[in-house]
Amino acid sequence: MPVMLPTIIRNLFGGPATRMYPVQVRDPFEGARGHIEFDDDKCILCGNCARQCPAAAIEINKEKNELVFYPARCIICFVCAEACKKDAVIASNKWRTPYYTKPVEVHVAKAKKEKAKKE
Amino acid sequence: MIENLKEISKDTLLQEVQKFADAKARFVTTVCSDLGDKLEVTYYFNYSPGVDMVALRMVVGKDEEVPSISGIYLTAVLSENEMFEQFGLKVKDMAIDFGGLMLLGKDSPVKPMVKDDAAAGKGGE
Amino acid sequence: MAPRTIAPFGPQHPVLPEPIQLKITYENEKVVDVVPALGYGHRGIEKACELNEYPKNIHLCERICGICSCMHGISYCEVVERLWPMEVPPRAKYLRTIWSEMSRTHSHLLWLGLLADALGFESMFMQFWRIREKVLDLLEMTCGSRVTQSVSVVGGVRRDIDDEQKKICIRTLQEVRQEAEALINVLATDPTVKARTVGKGVLTKEQAILLGNNGPHLRASGVKEDCRMLGMQAYGELGFEPVVETDGDCYARALVRARETLQAIDLQLEAFSKMPEGEIYVRPKGSPPANEAVYRCEQARGEVFYYAKGNGTRKLERLRVRTPTFANIPSLLVMLPGSELADVPIIVLSIDPCISCTER
Ligand code: SF4
Ligand code: SF4
Repeated sequence: MPVMLPTIIRNLFGGPATRMYPVQVRDPFEGARGHIEFDDDKCILCGNCARQCPAAAIEINKEKNELVFYPARCIICFVCAEACKKDAVIASNKWRTPYYTKPVEVHVAKAKKEKAKKE
Repeated sequence: MIENLKEISKDTLLQEVQKFADAKARFVTTVCSDLGDKLEVTYYFNYSPGVDMVALRMVVGKDEEVPSISGIYLTAVLSENEMFEQFGLKVKDMAIDFGGLMLLGKDSPVKPMVKDDAAAGKGGE
Repeated sequence: MAPRTIAPFGPQHPVLPEPIQLKITYENEKVVDVVPALGYGHRGIEKACELNEYPKNIHLCERICGICSCMHGISYCEVVERLWPMEVPPRAKYLRTIWSEMSRTHSHLLWLGLLADALGFESMFMQFWRIREKVLDLLEMTCGSRVTQSVSVVGGVRRDIDDEQKKICIRTLQEVRQEAEALINVLATDPTVKARTVGKGVLTKEQAILLGNNGPHLRASGVKEDCRMLGMQAYGELGFEPVVETDGDCYARALVRARETLQAIDLQLEAFSKMPEGEIYVRPKGSPPANEAVYRCEQARGEVFYYAKGNGTRKLERLRVRTPTFANIPSLLVMLPGSELADVPIIVLSIDPCISCTER
């Protein structure tokens, strides 16, 4: 037991090792994988992200000029962020909060439309 | 390419495996794969310590029965049961026979690893 | 003859957070027979790997197991690289080694905590898990995620460790080593721990080999075998020596894991000091050719076996994964009969079972 004395004393007088979680949140690490967002202004609907996504969380609808993202399927691997040549996938280090219903995000690709208009 | 691979037939299987048991080799695992009309079964062994593995390979028909090596290596019993469930390879006299219910349940797909159209699903989801 | 009773152990059991059921037949508190029942966690990952394109399987293989997820991802990449075969850059090898050893450190700390918990030594359990948290923080800092690291890709790794992170890693690892050493000393000398583990579930060297055991479980029986001796990744350059104990009981298994925890930290520190500069990724050429490859890697729980067969397309023809627990479960059929019923949880825990690994 004497070997444990320093630990015991530290535990007696030190604060708790845990945080009061939802009230007190540790800052995420810089490179942590939190969630992804899409920048509609930059996306050209090339489909690179959807082809490489291992969880089939992104669907491209060329007719409607839409990118549909299912956050509940996403496994947050950031493969799409590396695949996108236009930086239209924003990698964020903040975690998503839990949700009760599965959301579906529909992004209208603006860059594509403008390009089409010009032509 | 698999190193130290030896082709055998199902009649000499037990003899060959017994040689490994006599030499105090460790059984690693079996790998079964579907060649279309036949099944290919490979047994991997390892002479301790820390050297490359030795493999025994046999090709059997889909409805042939092969002897079980679980009498020599008890530990093979799980992988033999798995081959029976996933590929439908019939193994005779297994030490513990789960009867096709080791990993799968009663309502599971039958022989899910066999490559025919019925078992093929959609990838990616 | 005393009456025999059959009791189920699991799939929900306070000591064993794993979905396996053991049907235990006992007679006056002595176990006479054990039948395992599996199948609570089968997900068909091997089949799914045939249907996916090969780069997507990395993320699938990482989900075979939560604790060893980093090593599963790395092993999958290594076996697919062997289909070409192709070489990854040296720095990527070192990074893979470092992350593997980090996973081993946190896995062993987790197991030591669980052992203390199974013995009712709650405060020790919390101490171990508190220092484990530091290792998880390092993983989150360097890989981006605590558990499913997703750092390995076919051809290298996705992230690099820069100098600042390296400094933090080295400092934290030294702290962890000191704290872990103090705790391990207590665990190894505590009379209650010894009373519950010494001489329980003994396996001799011959039995252990014939039963095909692997990992710390095999090394505790006095067999000097470790896949890291094959010198894959950067282990060949790190002067690696396996940890071996000879008694073959639960205490020896705990000691092997405890010493491996410290050894893993030493290996990481050494790898950090020897890590070369340079590239971390080379692009693989085309699809995996029609070829076969096997790869074995030492995970925290033992040896994992990967077999891959390519057919020249983006999809693999066959992928087979044999996880360490798959080969360690049969040893329970030998260790448990003859033991006391009260020792069953400790003996089952001593193989460090991971059932969702086993069933894939
Ligand atoms: S997000 Fe990027 S990769 Fe995906 S469709 Fe848009 S431009 Fe292409
Ligand atoms: S982070 Fe991964 S899973 Fe999520 S959308 Fe991107 S590629 Fe798909």
